[in-house]
Amino acid sequence: MEDDYFSIESILAENQKIQCTFKIDVPDMGHLDGGKAGDIKALSKVQIPLWMAYILIFSDYADFTIPPPFSARVRNALNAEPRSVRLSALVGQGGLWYGFGRMIMRLLNDVPAEELSGVLTKTFRARLPDVIDQAQHFASLHATSGPSAGDAGAAAFREGMDGTERELFQLAQDSARRTKAWYETSERGKR
Amino acid sequence: MALPPSLRTSITPLELELVASEQLVEIVPLVSMERTAFISGAYGPLRPPTKCKVPLWMASNLKLKKKCHMVPPAWLNVDFLQERLLRETTDPGFSEMPFRFAEVAKILLDVAPDDLQNPDRIRMLLKDIREARQAKSREGLSKLDHNELMLPNLCAMEINEIRPFFVRGMNVLTHLTREPVPVDAMDQM
Repeated sequence: MEDDYFSIESILAENQKIQCTFKIDVPDMGHLDGGKAGDIKALSKVQIPLWMAYILIFSDYADFTIPPPFSARVRNALNAEPRSVRLSALVGQGGLWYGFGRMIMRLLNDVPAEELSGVLTKTFRARLPDVIDQAQHFASLHATSGPSAGDAGAAAFREGMDGTERELFQLAQDSARRTKAWYETSERGKR
Repeated sequence: MALPPSLRTSITPLELELVASEQLVEIVPLVSMERTAFISGAYGPLRPPTKCKVPLWMASNLKLKKKCHMVPPAWLNVDFLQERLLRETTDPGFSEMPFRFAEVAKILLDVAPDDLQNPDRIRMLLKDIREARQAKSREGLSKLDHNELMLPNLCAMEINEIRPFFVRGMNVLTHLTREPVPVDAMDQM
């Protein structure tokens, strides 16, 4: 999530393609659009990796469309029930939906960026309690028996967590497990 | 950093217990001892029927050698905890507890259950209190905000438990909130 040059997560979040519409002809760059040699014509639509899109968009060579993980359809679904949207399905397994969203947010200006920021924070906040609940639930399960299936909704939610949420899940689980272990052990024999 | 990831986010419950062991508790010694200097200070003298204040680590050590009885702190009894549990379940906020109550209570229940009245009931009450408080900190999670977080009366052990993911969560929210664009950057656009 950080902007750090060395942050692997930031690189992974940039590893997504967005659709750009070129405003000018670009000679000899046709290979960007999948193997064809030749020029890119103005108004042609090309899928470009996000890291390359920055320079094209900021230099006004191209326009971009909001990528599908943040389309109106997804936003409506998030508005209706943030917890039932599978974020990981939107950006690929282990993908960083929030990270990607943040990069898109920075490509946009005022009003749309504000909107997207609102969508991101609202979604994160709505899903966070569930992430932590499940982490704590699992932390208490492992100590006693093997993992049980849980109900289907919870399992689907777990699969739908994006990379950032997975990290939080891990943190909460470790912490809960450590504290639980402390509460349950007796140091009496060692003293 | 050379520390394993699990130790980077927060300190361990055992370390907290160690810190709490510096607190003074009252004991009724069964052996006599002159005033003795330790690194953390001088404690004693121990004169058998009179009560004396010593650090918790020393008390539990003496107790395990059957050289003292521990006097439980004023809050570690059924009546007090019952009242706190009631308040915990009716009030929306966290009720006031000693900052390191979880650690002290655990050591006492562990080492000196025979000096407490009804230790099993106390154990149950503490567990209930802990669960009630956990439910509240979970509620706080949905109000998480990128600027600040107020959870007054939260205790050492609870803070330590929620620290890793609260901090990370707030960090994420900071990144997701749009920072105001500086004025000179606006001009360039």
